[in-house]
Amino acid sequence: MTAYWPWWAGAVGLAVLTIGYTLAADRPFGVSGAWERVLHWRREAELERKEAEFTDEQALVAALGAATAEHFGTLPAAPAPAAPVSVSSPEPPDAPATDGRRRGAHPRPAPLVTQAVLLVSIFVGGLIAAVTSGQFHVRSDMGAGYRHLVTGNPVAMVALLFAGGVLVGFGTRLAGGCVSGHGLNGCGRLSPVSLVATATFFGTAVAVSFLLWKVI
Amino acid sequence: MRSRGGVLLANLLTGLALGFTVTRIGFGDYTELNRMLTFQDSRMLLAVLGAIVIIASVFALLRVRRGVGRLHAGVVPGAVLFGIGWAISGGCPAIPLIQVASGYLPALVTIAGIVVGVRLCRWCSGRFFRIDRGSCEG
Repeated sequence: MTAYWPWWAGAVGLAVLTIGYTLAADRPFGVSGAWERVLHWRREAELERKEAEFTDEQALVAALGAATAEHFGTLPAAPAPAAPVSVSSPEPPDAPATDGRRRGAHPRPAPLVTQAVLLVSIFVGGLIAAVTSGQFHVRSDMGAGYRHLVTGNPVAMVALLFAGGVLVGFGTRLAGGCVSGHGLNGCGRLSPVSLVATATFFGTAVAVSFLLWKVI
Repeated sequence: MRSRGGVLLANLLTGLALGFTVTRIGFGDYTELNRMLTFQDSRMLLAVLGAIVIIASVFALLRVRRGVGRLHAGVVPGAVLFGIGWAISGGCPAIPLIQVASGYLPALVTIAGIVVGVRLCRWCSGRFFRIDRGSCEG
């Protein structure tokens, strides 16, 4: 059996990469969002190109509102009035950032190419870990655990892995996040939607795993 | 580091670190995952919970904004579907990548499923259901 990291090393590793990304990129971290953008790269690239054309923020907000209304078939929201500008008590340069500009509050997703790099580098990081730890071994099954707990039939295995993948892809995008986006980043921010999503997908996975272990 | 190059570097380093870390924790090993989800072994569960505690503490100290994602109608059904898929395939969106990197070739089928699922969700959105997911990026 491969010796995996102790729990505390895993906790520190996951925390450091999530915090580091948030501070360095000024954006929330999430893998399913990267899949979404990379798999719709034509549309996302077009959106990036159009966004780059807008230099006026009000025009950008109006255009985004119209595009959202068109996508969801709803009426565009009335444009918000410009925020009053206070000249009597300007925020000092070293003051804590206000709500809209706190760290990790960047409204736009990371550029498309950077999210493709994220997915490729996850693979490379996994490859380095597997090779250096002696875990790398090409196999045509998913291991003894999958064989015993789910199925040992190769055709059923392929069908279940594909169905599981579809559920993962569809479910994470419907829920707006996955273990990294909702679980680490969202729960780390104490976001109510992420706490609900994480409790739900973890609870469901626990129930299905017990079924596989004890019943099926 | 907020320039395009900076974000690119952040994604590169974070991806490498994530792939390395989750592989060394054991998330690509279906047996370990099932042992975590059936509470037979608390090691991986403690790793995730410990990470969340550290992240929440550091974010609170640094005053990182709390999440703005809204609790829309797709959150619970989507999370249920994801939970089922996670338990039967062993893959959340990053894991099949590191499973293939560890030599589990059938995980390529899981990746194909994720590709179909992600595209299917956007295709269905607006045709069969209309959910405003706000700006949640995760």
